[in-house]
Amino acid sequence: MFQIKSVDTIWLMLLGLTLLAAAIAETPDQGFILTLVIALTVAFKGRMIVDRFMELNSANRWLRHSMRIYFYVIPMLIVLVYLFPDLIVRITTLQ
Amino acid sequence: MTLETTIAVPARNHIPGNMAIWVGILSEMTEFALMFIVYFIAKVHNPELFANGPLRLNTLAGVMNTLILLSSSYFVVKAMIALRQGQIGSCLRWLWMAVAAGCTYLVIKFFEYRWNAAHGLSTDTNLFFTVYYYTTFNHLLHVGWGSGAILWAIMGVRMGGITPQNQSGLEAVAVYWHMIDLAWIIIFPLLYVLR
Repeated sequence: MFQIKSVDTIWLMLLGLTLLAAAIAETPDQGFILTLVIALTVAFKGRMIVDRFMELNSANRWLRHSMRIYFYVIPMLIVLVYLFPDLIVRITTLQ
Repeated sequence: MTLETTIAVPARNHIPGNMAIWVGILSEMTEFALMFIVYFIAKVHNPELFANGPLRLNTLAGVMNTLILLSSSYFVVKAMIALRQGQIGSCLRWLWMAVAAGCTYLVIKFFEYRWNAAHGLSTDTNLFFTVYYYTTFNHLLHVGWGSGAILWAIMGVRMGGITPQNQSGLEAVAVYWHMIDLAWIIIFPLLYVLR
């Protein structure tokens, strides 16, 4: 169910996290911590929209899980690409 | 809004909108997933291009469009709440604000592409920009027809086809619009932020 006050708060939080990402975009050397922050930001924003804006937190569980898993996998890929680029190059190189 | 109000939604475990819209949403999320996989693979094979690419883009345009799309999703949520409360006028105002946000996104994107062209950036500048243009133009098309879908919902509300007792049409448009927002939530950091 919607809680009017909470959707207002979620909207403001989403805007705030976007401004945080904008600040990170201007950072010369991002490093692992900032990459992790961006990945977590994507995960949090996605979860909020899936659960609260789309109202899937109380809807059909297959739809809920299908949408939630997206925002586990993509943030994880962001981190893995940062940590293991050479391994991914080897896996994705056609011989 | 300071007063906490709780509004009932359709029965637990329901399917927001209808099954057809979810076939579309899951298909399009799969399409975007393929684009993201292409981005990740292209990035590990071309780290220099993907480190320098975001620095050459107009970050302000990306940030503004993210704020606008997030706000448009919020407007659609508020329209849904208003409909459930039987406040048709308020519902229509929120929906028009969502359409205005969609149009603003398209205008910013137009000026961003023009800015890119003025700075010598195009689809064949390098692989980063090929991925950038393919992904963002595809997303732009979704914003265009998503805005059209909200206009259709406005007509439905005005003509009485969408009512507090029959919300599924607006629910379908709402979840589709949120899907467009979700795709951008990933596109923005991948193309404008991460290096």
